Amino acid sequence: MSQATALAMTEREFLCELRHVDKEFPQGKGAPLRVLQDISLAIRPDEVVALLGPSGCGKSTILRILAGLTAPTRGEVLYHAAPLAGLNPGLGFVFQSFALYPWMTVSQNVEAVLRAKGLSREEASSRASGAIRTVGLAGFEEAYPRELSGGMKQRVGMARAFSLDPEMLFMDEPFSQVDALTAESLRAEVLDIWAAKDKNPSSIVMVSHDIKEVVYMADRIVVLDANPGRVRTVVENALPRPRDYRSPELLQLVDRLHDIITGMEMPDVPAGRAPSAAFEPIPQVGAGEILGLLEYLDARGGQEDVFRITSDTDREFGKLIAVVNAAEVLDLVDTPKRMVVLSPEGAQLVKASPEDRKALWREHILRLRLFQVVMDALARSEEHRVDRDFVLELIAVHMPNEDYERTFETILDWSRFADLWTYDEESETIALRHGS
Amino acid sequence: MIRRVTQIFGEAVAFLDRSRKLGWTDLALAAGLGGTIYGLIRLAQEWTGALRPTVNIDLSIGALPGYALLSLSRGLAAYALSLLFTLAYGYWAARDRVAERVLIPTLDILQSIPVLGFMPGLVLGLVAAFPRSNVGLELASVIMIFTGQAWNMTFSFYHSLKSIPRDLTEVATLNRFHWWQRFRWVELPFSAIGLVWNSMMSMAGGWFFLMVSEAFVLGDKDFRLPGLGSYMSVAVAAGDGRATLAAVVAMALMIVALDQLLWRPIVVWAQKFRVEESGQTEPMESWFLDFLKRSQVLPWVGRLMRRAVSAVAPARPATRPERTPARRPRAFAGALSLALFTLLLALLAWGAFGLLGLLRQVPLGAWGSVGLAATLTLCRVLLATAIGTLWTLPAGLAIGLSPRLSRVLQPVVQVVASFPAPMLFPAVVAMLTAAGVGLGFGSILLMLLGTQWYILFNVIAGATAIPADLREAARIYRVGTLQRFRELYLPAVFPYLVTGWVTAAGGAWNASIVSEYMSFRGQVLSTTGLGARISMAAAGGEFTVLAAAITFMAAMVALFNRLVWRRLHGIAEERFSLTR
Repeated sequence: MSQATALAMTEREFLCELRHVDKEFPQGKGAPLRVLQDISLAIRPDEVVALLGPSGCGKSTILRILAGLTAPTRGEVLYHAAPLAGLNPGLGFVFQSFALYPWMTVSQNVEAVLRAKGLSREEASSRASGAIRTVGLAGFEEAYPRELSGGMKQRVGMARAFSLDPEMLFMDEPFSQVDALTAESLRAEVLDIWAAKDKNPSSIVMVSHDIKEVVYMADRIVVLDANPGRVRTVVENALPRPRDYRSPELLQLVDRLHDIITGMEMPDVPAGRAPSAAFEPIPQVGAGEILGLLEYLDARGGQEDVFRITSDTDREFGKLIAVVNAAEVLDLVDTPKRMVVLSPEGAQLVKASPEDRKALWREHILRLRLFQVVMDALARSEEHRVDRDFVLELIAVHMPNEDYERTFETILDWSRFADLWTYDEESETIALRHGS
Repeated sequence: MIRRVTQIFGEAVAFLDRSRKLGWTDLALAAGLGGTIYGLIRLAQEWTGALRPTVNIDLSIGALPGYALLSLSRGLAAYALSLLFTLAYGYWAARDRVAERVLIPTLDILQSIPVLGFMPGLVLGLVAAFPRSNVGLELASVIMIFTGQAWNMTFSFYHSLKSIPRDLTEVATLNRFHWWQRFRWVELPFSAIGLVWNSMMSMAGGWFFLMVSEAFVLGDKDFRLPGLGSYMSVAVAAGDGRATLAAVVAMALMIVALDQLLWRPIVVWAQKFRVEESGQTEPMESWFLDFLKRSQVLPWVGRLMRRAVSAVAPARPATRPERTPARRPRAFAGALSLALFTLLLALLAWGAFGLLGLLRQVPLGAWGSVGLAATLTLCRVLLATAIGTLWTLPAGLAIGLSPRLSRVLQPVVQVVASFPAPMLFPAVVAMLTAAGVGLGFGSILLMLLGTQWYILFNVIAGATAIPADLREAARIYRVGTLQRFRELYLPAVFPYLVTGWVTAAGGAWNASIVSEYMSFRGQVLSTTGLGARISMAAAGGEFTVLAAAITFMAAMVALFNRLVWRRLHGIAEERFSLTR
């Protein structure tokens, strides 16, 4: 068998596939916001694929394009090697927010999708009760979703997906709104149902930001980069099942993923810093959070592993990394490898009196190009006022991959903390604070 | 088929078997059913009866229930029409992006037009169309009530459809619910609560128009319809105090009965469509719903109907072609929507063109007098709103802030607020004439009579919504009464106050048409004002002036909404909203 035919064979076996997919959302000002860039991804039979990445990397969008809920701006979507027209057939979808109809009982929620498929009332009800039993909810058929806990609601969501006997199961952050212990058992149960090889679902595609969860569940882990979303790397996970959270191999893989993510999200040599007209990126986090990080580091002798901080502060790593990056943009911390280290200037800021803190903070934010340009404009303007629209325009032109409204909120927050600018909601203008 | 029949027979036998357990619930239901059938027959006689030159009202108390039923049937018929309109129009506007751009502004204009201005034209037109029977007059009455009911229901339905959470619609899309399933399982349930509340409000608002249209007299022509409104006007004209009081009591009883027997059960039942998880800790109750649930007959009837439906429409085949469906129905829906849209545009263009033609003939001097009249009426509307605010603000705060008072007074206020003010107009005008007050100031009182309740209602709602912690903080820091009013109560109820003002002012504009000009004991009372201008022009058949006056009023209301109320609303949302 030649290599070419082997390739053709595997391609035909793909359940579905994205080829060079871009996705853009129109924005009011400037160019459309690019959410996904050149995504190529194939789902094979009998595998669990996990999409891993920080929030805002377009994980959910990829899932929705595969499902046929949104069309890509560019690129192809294939289903069994043919272009996908409309919705992906053969699909069960589990939502982060459960998406149960609150006015229907558990069994009505499941029956609705079966009736929509054209099943008779009797058939729908018998299949629904089977699916409800599979997920361990027997006895709750007549309960309304509002009477159930988060974990039980997600069981209903899964019963609804399984009742269709789908070829593929898509799960969008399925356990992030479920308490930790329940999530544990749900993960194992999903894998048990999937593991019955002769039955559907053949494959699972899940979106997650939880590294341990991904390593526990997936055969392939697609690590995504944010702004715009790109495939950074694909990690194969051949650990034997059932997996043990404490096994050294699993922990090793978790560690490797940590390194990949920090290498990509906290590069040792900050990119795009040097020349050009581009402005430094402004991660959308509050000044209070950055200060909190500095206090945390100070209390721990000035440095800590970023994933230790994540678990200590109980935050999603994507959000925490945004805080770390913001602190780094402001020269308040350094990030050698996975460590976050308080810089001398950062240490000085933490130890300063409230008044000096403001002065130091002001000094740091004024090192950023965006703040400098706005300050220039304020100095040039006759009334020493600058329109919100002017700043939005600046952001849209010089930071094309950012959500300009949220960036604007962020710089307002930082400048208020520095006692630098005031913002008048009614006239939508920025002005200098007196005395600064 | 035979099997089905035997099945039904079996059910019937089983039912008869159980019938020993039939309680008085079922007996009462049976009696109610009989009453309804008799009422419908009477109604049919009334509608098809010959047109009378004047209305004959029997002022005896015994005749009152019959008149109340006639009034009720008009209100319910108009409500059914409003509901149909709401579902069709709201659905269309929400689903068709292109049509939406015309439909929603049109609805906004319809909502701000004082519809009573069209009443004279509508009545004359429909009576001319059905010269021999009562159908024209009845139809005019139903349409008038409809125009007072439909708009807010439609807006509520449209907004609900637009705000269905994305994940709920995605489930429907992924599982290929066809449009009827989507409507029944997702869209209608999601909009149910908003629709129910707005239906209640609409029904209450509808009484206003019912009373006006039942007691409608234009110059020397009598267009009154037998009902509570005409009973009242005849009773006042005859100086019959006992009958006047009886009519007021009958109206109040009807409002209470409707609330207890219709709306309360529906509101309680609609609780199952709540979307948010928490909130509303104390469950609502309805004795009538509990009463119905005890019935043995109703579930049996329900099963029978379901079986009948599935017999007529058999379940669709389990295997459906996966690729092609949707295509043809969607193309059909698209064509239908396009056709309707073109029709609507043509209608709007035709209306605008016709109106322009009429307005071109209006002499410049007439515009001047209309403008003067409009200014006077605007002053009356604002005065009525201001006076209403003056007493309802403290009263509403007192009621809303005290759980004890609001428990006792809330239902009373609710009934009083739905009581149609025009019913009281004849009595009030009689008192005004006795006191020697002309309609110039008297009409302000008449406007106030109908509209102050909207303000009171909203202030009470606002006061109950003030968070307990804010009130506790004010107490702990010993904030004085005046300061508390200025810095806590007033800002907190301000958004509600604005809503109350908008509704009250809109109602006052409408009321100006019937309160600045009226026939009373055979003579015409009037004062200078835009409302009087409209009524007079209609009575005299001066259609160009009528068109000018109505256009002027509509423009003024729309302009005022845009320039004043909307701006205040924006301020309220931005600065005084407690939920953000």
